[in-house]
Amino acid sequence: MPDLAPILSKQDVTQRIERIAQAIQERFPGKDLALVGIYRRGVPLAERLYTLLKPHFPDLNIGRVDISLYRDDLKALEIIPKLIGSELSFDLDGKHVILCDEVLHTGRTARAALDELLEYGRPQKVELAVLVDREGRELPIAADYVGERVTIKPEERIAVRFVEVDGEDAVYVQQGGARR
Amino acid sequence: MKRLFKGGEIATEDSPKLTRADVLVEDGKIVQVAPGIAAGEGTEVVDCTGKVILPALFDVHVHAREPGQEQKENILTCSEAAINGGVVGFVMMPNTAPAIDTAGVVKTVLESARKCRIPLYTTGAITKGREGKELAAIGAMKAAGAVMITDDGYPVSNPVVLRRAMEYAKNFDLILASHCETMELSGKGSMHEGKVSYSLGLEGIPAISEEICLDRDIRIAQYTGAHVHIQHVTTARGMNTIRRFKEEGAKVTCEIAPHHLIFNHEDIRDYDTSYKMNPPLRTPEDNALLLQGLIDGVFDVIATDHAPHTEFEKKNDFQSAPFGITGLETALPCLYDRFMSKGVFGWDVIVKRYSAEPRRIIKLPPVPVVEGGVAEFIVFDPNGSTTFTKEFMKSKSSNTPFLNQTLKGSVDVVVLKDEVLLNR
Amino acid sequence: MTPRKDLLDIQSLTDEELEFILSNAVPFKNLFKRSVKKVPTLKGRTVLTLFYEPSTRTRSSFEIAASRLSADVTNFSVSTSSVVKGESVLDTVATLEAMRTDYVVVRHSMSGIPNLIAKHTNASVINAGDGFHAHPTQGLLDVFTLREVFGGDVRGARVAFIGDIQHSRVARSTNLLCRRMGMQTAMLAPGSLIPRELPQEIAVFQDWKELYAWKPDVIYLLRVQTERQNVPFFPSIGEYHRLFGLTDERLKWARDNGIWVMHPGPVNRGVELTDSVMEYERSLIDQQVENGIAVRMSVLYWLKPGSSTEDKP
Repeated sequence: MPDLAPILSKQDVTQRIERIAQAIQERFPGKDLALVGIYRRGVPLAERLYTLLKPHFPDLNIGRVDISLYRDDLKALEIIPKLIGSELSFDLDGKHVILCDEVLHTGRTARAALDELLEYGRPQKVELAVLVDREGRELPIAADYVGERVTIKPEERIAVRFVEVDGEDAVYVQQGGARR
Repeated sequence: MKRLFKGGEIATEDSPKLTRADVLVEDGKIVQVAPGIAAGEGTEVVDCTGKVILPALFDVHVHAREPGQEQKENILTCSEAAINGGVVGFVMMPNTAPAIDTAGVVKTVLESARKCRIPLYTTGAITKGREGKELAAIGAMKAAGAVMITDDGYPVSNPVVLRRAMEYAKNFDLILASHCETMELSGKGSMHEGKVSYSLGLEGIPAISEEICLDRDIRIAQYTGAHVHIQHVTTARGMNTIRRFKEEGAKVTCEIAPHHLIFNHEDIRDYDTSYKMNPPLRTPEDNALLLQGLIDGVFDVIATDHAPHTEFEKKNDFQSAPFGITGLETALPCLYDRFMSKGVFGWDVIVKRYSAEPRRIIKLPPVPVVEGGVAEFIVFDPNGSTTFTKEFMKSKSSNTPFLNQTLKGSVDVVVLKDEVLLNR
Repeated sequence: MTPRKDLLDIQSLTDEELEFILSNAVPFKNLFKRSVKKVPTLKGRTVLTLFYEPSTRTRSSFEIAASRLSADVTNFSVSTSSVVKGESVLDTVATLEAMRTDYVVVRHSMSGIPNLIAKHTNASVINAGDGFHAHPTQGLLDVFTLREVFGGDVRGARVAFIGDIQHSRVARSTNLLCRRMGMQTAMLAPGSLIPRELPQEIAVFQDWKELYAWKPDVIYLLRVQTERQNVPFFPSIGEYHRLFGLTDERLKWARDNGIWVMHPGPVNRGVELTDSVMEYERSLIDQQVENGIAVRMSVLYWLKPGSSTEDKP
């Protein structure tokens, strides 16, 4: 990680997630709520939201999706990703699903996750929650819950780091790296 | 016409030691061999400094593919390939189409050989069509110029036919050369039967296929008093059989091919058909023991079994591709590169086994580099190197694992009487 | 994992690649529990099956694997009645090149044909069995199945191969993989069906008694080739079954000792095994078939057409 200071600190990250949880709780008081994290870093986001929301939604479900098989660029990759596999052990039919990912950029990841989700069942509604929303959409997709909106240059990228995956909570702006 | 080959060292069949001497050739004869010969008026000087002058090589086992398989090779291209490798004369095998099994075909082949720059000799088949059934016109072929009989490519599977052939050949003082293989044991095999054939899932040619036939053929020769020449020996056990019969006084000679000293079945990776030949590449242990056999003198001659095949034929799958590897152009550089440059054996082995003895087998005089001798020698540069590209090779075919490889040593000059056949 | 162009044999796979294929097969198998078993991974890609030797099972398994990845699957119809030599195979390959096929699944009765094809096409070539040489996806699915049976850790498991070792590409590929995964292997067959030289030190048994004493965990029955024999390798099918087959009596031994039974299919009832094996509770034969699809999906997922083949070890 470069020496550049993070744009969001550990505290900021915690606070943004809490804000998203609160928004979900306010906007959606009903039952049948399910959180689905997109591997890799959408999963810790979903899990943290789960911890925050579980006391208010006793029937809350959580799932995880590995979108590798739904990517539209797989055979163009130099490295083929190792499959983790999706885990959606509850019935999706009629559920209100909130897809969770760390960054919304082109919209392609969310598109892939949506496609996959819909093959497991027929949710009543699907929304999208992201920690960071940046410009650069290539598909007509928008987030319903956003932790932080940032404006950066097209060649820059957002790197979200979570304790569960990376050993720290922070968000950085990186120069040039390949987008995922 | 006078030519002075200056500054080289002379190799002989009697000693691994090279002798520093200049060689003066006049009208196709070696007139003087001595250090420090001065070049007289009008004498062409060929600088041989740092190079080895040795008697021209001779190969008793070559497939020139004419008549009938000229897409692979013809007599002329084969002779040019030979010159390119320092080989000045060879004996052609009869597995052509039609087979060389009548005096007529012998004459045709020898007629075609006349346009070549080196002397060529031919075998005749033992049996009609090399089918192993009826004797071919051995007497007539001998009269037409055949120097040896063989069904090479096939054994004479029926021992009665072989016995008759050996008895009959004695009348004409013809050597019978044996391709030793028990066809039923070889079956559809395409490589040596062993660990590698198992791994590659290829049917194997067991060592006993060769060894049983070899043993049988020598026994029949010994029984009939004929001279049998065992072609391309590949197994140490087979070699030891020959050694034992030689000690008993049987009239048996035998040959070893460079590829059977250098390669083994472990080289056949990814079904590379340039390693497919019959008899097949055996084991690393065989490599080592055969090499020792060459040094010990079990093998009378080195012979390449030069067997050209087109790229198209060799591009086939391993089972369907034909058996064979070219050898005339690579023989001396590969033996030099792998053995002599490392001190495994000396120049005497080459001169004796790949120049003098091959000529003696077909009753030709050897061609030592001595005063009064015929000028038939080559100049080899041990410090040079040779890259075997398709452009370099004169053979029509390039089915050799040495294709595009670089080996130490270079055949620089080839001299036959008054002519310089090659001068790089 | 860096993709490769072809899967031709087991030897050329690195340990990491093996692990990659086997572990990815788990999520693929989990897809089968969904109502929609299909994923869009290979949408728009073409998988062509080129079988010069008849095999409904392997072919169907590849077809299902490819279609579950959303690839377009085509059977290229070739002669299975006569042996087609490499040069004619290459003519066909030139046609495939022109059709811009992405994956070619090949089966041929001669060893090395897939290697030959791989050199002459940009498509990814998957060996679905060549001669006596290799059947890499069979080896992978077998080991995948054994991992399921032994809960992931197969080290030390004892697997005995019984039958035509000499002519079995399955024995070659599966045995090789079992040993790489740390399993113990042994062989039982008539002497005429045991190769004289095996690449590894391996226990070879003369009869079932010796095999019993070795205490195998798994017995792997190989299909006995009753066709293509100039000089027969054993006197009769009946004698083979009596001496080397999994008879009812030996099945009882297997049941009493909790031994798993595997077979690459299709089975010859009354030859290498008795009818009642099909109802045996520790028969893995159906599981092998199911796993075959997952493993083949995993292989297709990993291979990449047109990528370099020069990195082979």
